[in-house]
Amino acid sequence: MTRPDPDEPVPPAPGVRPFLQSGPQHSTGGYTPTGENPPVEASTHKLRPFVITAGRTDGGDPDIGMETQVTLVPGAPPSRLSPETRAIVSLCEESPISVAEISARLRLHLGVTRILVGDLRAAGQLDVHVLDNDTPDPDTIMRVIRGLRSIS
Amino acid sequence: MDFDPSANRVVGTARVSGGGPKKAPVPVKIIVAGGFGVGKTTTVGAISEISPLTTEAEMTSESVGIDNPGQAVLKTNTTVAMDFGVLTIDQTLKLYIFGTPGQTRFAFMWDDLVRGALGALVVVDTNRIDDCYPAVDYFERQGLPFVVGINTFNGEMSYSIDEVRWALAVREDVPVISFDARFRASVRDALLVVLDQALDKAIRMQS
Repeated sequence: MTRPDPDEPVPPAPGVRPFLQSGPQHSTGGYTPTGENPPVEASTHKLRPFVITAGRTDGGDPDIGMETQVTLVPGAPPSRLSPETRAIVSLCEESPISVAEISARLRLHLGVTRILVGDLRAAGQLDVHVLDNDTPDPDTIMRVIRGLRSIS
Repeated sequence: MDFDPSANRVVGTARVSGGGPKKAPVPVKIIVAGGFGVGKTTTVGAISEISPLTTEAEMTSESVGIDNPGQAVLKTNTTVAMDFGVLTIDQTLKLYIFGTPGQTRFAFMWDDLVRGALGALVVVDTNRIDDCYPAVDYFERQGLPFVVGINTFNGEMSYSIDEVRWALAVREDVPVISFDARFRASVRDALLVVLDQALDKAIRMQS
């Protein structure tokens, strides 16, 4: 019907609905992924984000920041991926990329991106380079200062 | 699974070249905050090496019920669009600049955004100074180094720097500067002031 088959390649959904935006209107706990007939929305041609994340709305691993770099695990075993996760993996093929860039380029909500990146890390497809120490140190700041000064 | 990270050969179907995907740069970030339409995106775009990208993110906002006085603080999740840009410092270091909205009536729960940030530039339009109050409040509470940057995009300021400082009542050591968000060199200089504050704090923390 109007709900897309999950295996069908879904184009990166522009204007994908934020999964928590309508929170207050669904104060009974929001949607549950078990319900067969989620309320029909005005635009049913896009997967709602909580469908992509199988109902998870917790925003993912807090260690995964917006600027956190993600790379492909070399020679990761082939794995059955959803269209969204496949798109994420192919974005990482070229060079390291940040979570925010993945979110922007695929037009996936940041929270959704974080959950999916966490899944791909757990599945051994992606390396997520979480910094051990996220307090900036003077040496790093000096390098940024020198780098900025050198641009005109 | 044990891979030799220095391997420079075809592994499976993925070619791993030297210094390739395996090696990720260290990301650092600066926040550009301020009210609607003050020039945050212009600021980000002026310094970024890519055209600014947009991501949608959650922000939890707290609003004390104005319609329902006496009610507890209401927490709602609002989705906001965030523009950001990138500047490659060198192969191992990347600077991200995140522009983030700051509407009034929202107390910010920007913890994700701010964690690990070097500092923030609060962009101010002198015609609507109060738009930046929430951001200033937030960064003060967080102890994040920040600088107030008056965007002189009209080539004029309705108030002087001293008057803006007085209106904001920021601490002595918080720089209040003017800059033009349209020009790269001007944005660069404003960010250098932020970095200077960040460096001060980092050195204080170390000793």
